[in-house]
Amino acid sequence: MRASVLTRTLRDKWRSFRWWCVGILAFVALYGSVFPSLHGNKSLDNLIKSYPQALKGFVGFGGNLDIGSGAGYLGTEVFSFWGPIVFLAAAIAAGAGAIAGEEERGTLDLLLSLPISRVRCLLEKLAALVCEVVALGIVLWLLLVIVSAVAGMGVSTANLAATTIALILLALMFGSLALAIGAATGRRALAIGLSATLAVAADVLNALAPLASWLDSAKLVSPFYYYSHSDTLRHGLNGTDALVLLAIGLVAACVAPIVFARRDLSTS
Amino acid sequence: MTAVIRAEGLTKFYGASRGISGLSLVVEPGEVFGFLGPNGAGKTTTIRLMLDLIRPTAGLLEVFGLDVRKQSVAVRSRAGYLPGDLHLYERLTPREYLRYVAALRGLEGLGEGEALSERFELELDRPIKALSKGNRQKVGLVQAFLHRPDLLLLDEPTAGLDPLVQQTFNELLREVVAEGRTVFLSSHILSEVQRLADRVAIIREGSLELVEAVETLRARAFVHVEATFAQSPPQEAFASLPGVRELERRGPVVLLALEGSADPLIKALARYEVLALDSHEADLEDVFLTLYREGSAGAS
Ligand SMILES: Nc1ncnc2c1ncn2[C@@H]1O[C@H](COP(=O)(O)OP(=O)(O)OP(=O)(O)O)[C@@H](O)[C@H]1O
Ligand SMILES: [Mg+2]
Repeated sequence: MRASVLTRTLRDKWRSFRWWCVGILAFVALYGSVFPSLHGNKSLDNLIKSYPQALKGFVGFGGNLDIGSGAGYLGTEVFSFWGPIVFLAAAIAAGAGAIAGEEERGTLDLLLSLPISRVRCLLEKLAALVCEVVALGIVLWLLLVIVSAVAGMGVSTANLAATTIALILLALMFGSLALAIGAATGRRALAIGLSATLAVAADVLNALAPLASWLDSAKLVSPFYYYSHSDTLRHGLNGTDALVLLAIGLVAACVAPIVFARRDLSTS
Repeated sequence: MTAVIRAEGLTKFYGASRGISGLSLVVEPGEVFGFLGPNGAGKTTTIRLMLDLIRPTAGLLEVFGLDVRKQSVAVRSRAGYLPGDLHLYERLTPREYLRYVAALRGLEGLGEGEALSERFELELDRPIKALSKGNRQKVGLVQAFLHRPDLLLLDEPTAGLDPLVQQTFNELLREVVAEGRTVFLSSHILSEVQRLADRVAIIREGSLELVEAVETLRARAFVHVEATFAQSPPQEAFASLPGVRELERRGPVVLLALEGSADPLIKALARYEVLALDSHEADLEDVFLTLYREGSAGAS
């Protein structure tokens, strides 16, 4: 196949992609090995039952903090804790690097002196971002299917897939945002900082919502609400929630080429 | 025939800071156009405008008769660009990089890249991060030429090249021009382009100072005459001669600049005992520096 911006970008990512996979493997293995000692641990169950509901909502997934069950354990540990951290970090880094990274390194000048339009360049970079995050999702999903079977977590393959898809959509939303900010400003650190700050703010907003009634409708603006509230590990993918995440990501993805096509490229 | 480059009143401000202002010029097919000016004059700005990397504040700019804003992809497919501030993908080897550039230009393999690399004696299989400055510059040159572009936009192309490689580069430019292709070349230094360029433009503080055929500039050149006397001639011995300026005096050695006929000077010299006489045509560089100075004197 003839090289394109997409294939070139994917090749460049291969190196870091392997390290992300190693990280995911290590975490999934660790969580899988801890689970059997929590499973059916009555005193732990009782302890957690005594927690206030608000706290359970804060650390749990879908309002549950039932870490003695497979779905509760994966929801709390994997999908509301390090999963979003790892996936958002990967997606935001890739999104910010796509345009702003090349621009700061100075290689964008020559790339865009070639006969490709800015819009096409950006869309191929976006496609590479999608490929990377989806590939990470597939790796996570496969590992979780194995660990769930080995450790007897009893979570269905379909529901693991559904939750991974939700995680992919959440990560892609923030990744596209970082790409758009980078494409608009040419500043990688700004793209990372702003996207990460918004992600933390959105997560905190969603987590605090149960604690204060005036926040209850405010949580609707948080992407994390659409990611977590329907407990996909037990009930499968919620179409509406997935569409909301997809829509926010698409807005960022549509704005990015428009702002990018209008501005001056900076020399490094 | 349509002009290859046509700029009219081209102006670029970076916010409030001046890039270029009111620049008008026409570059014809098959010529080497030297674009000269001191640091910050606006050379890079002009070249990046042609590639639609930055957008003009005002004015018209056409390349191959195409609007550089609306038809930038068509312009870029026929142009080759060497940036003044070259940044390459450090992890790739030149071969991988050139293959990428060729592919994005719709070519198989390396296009002309293989043959060009051979000419420049560029090693294709060491990572770019391990290359010296001059070798990186070669990679930049090869990628600019590999699709046989109709127009070459070269921003200070000879920076970092040793004299032998510069010679190869000069030969390459001559071949390009012999094929009717066009070269737009920026530089600080006139001597670097005087043997290549048909015409030069001098840009200062964002505006064109002059556009002139190199031949015409050369006609403005003067001759340096260095005379060594047995005894120092009087201070005002050559001062009033037509077309003669005394530049320097070191004891019995006098350095003179001569413009026009040599006869009055020869007659004047004959009145003293001359031990040695040396003369050579002043470099265009001297003309250039004079123009630079006149310009800044006029501006202040
Ligand atoms: N991104 C920018 N933001 C603000 N001002 C800029 C920017 N780029 C260039 N300038 C200004 O525009 C003017 C022209 O700069 P340009 O880089 O075109 O000069 P140059 O002739 O290429 O100089 P050099 O010989 O140093 O390469 C300079 O005064 C410079 O300060
Ligand atoms: Mg410059």
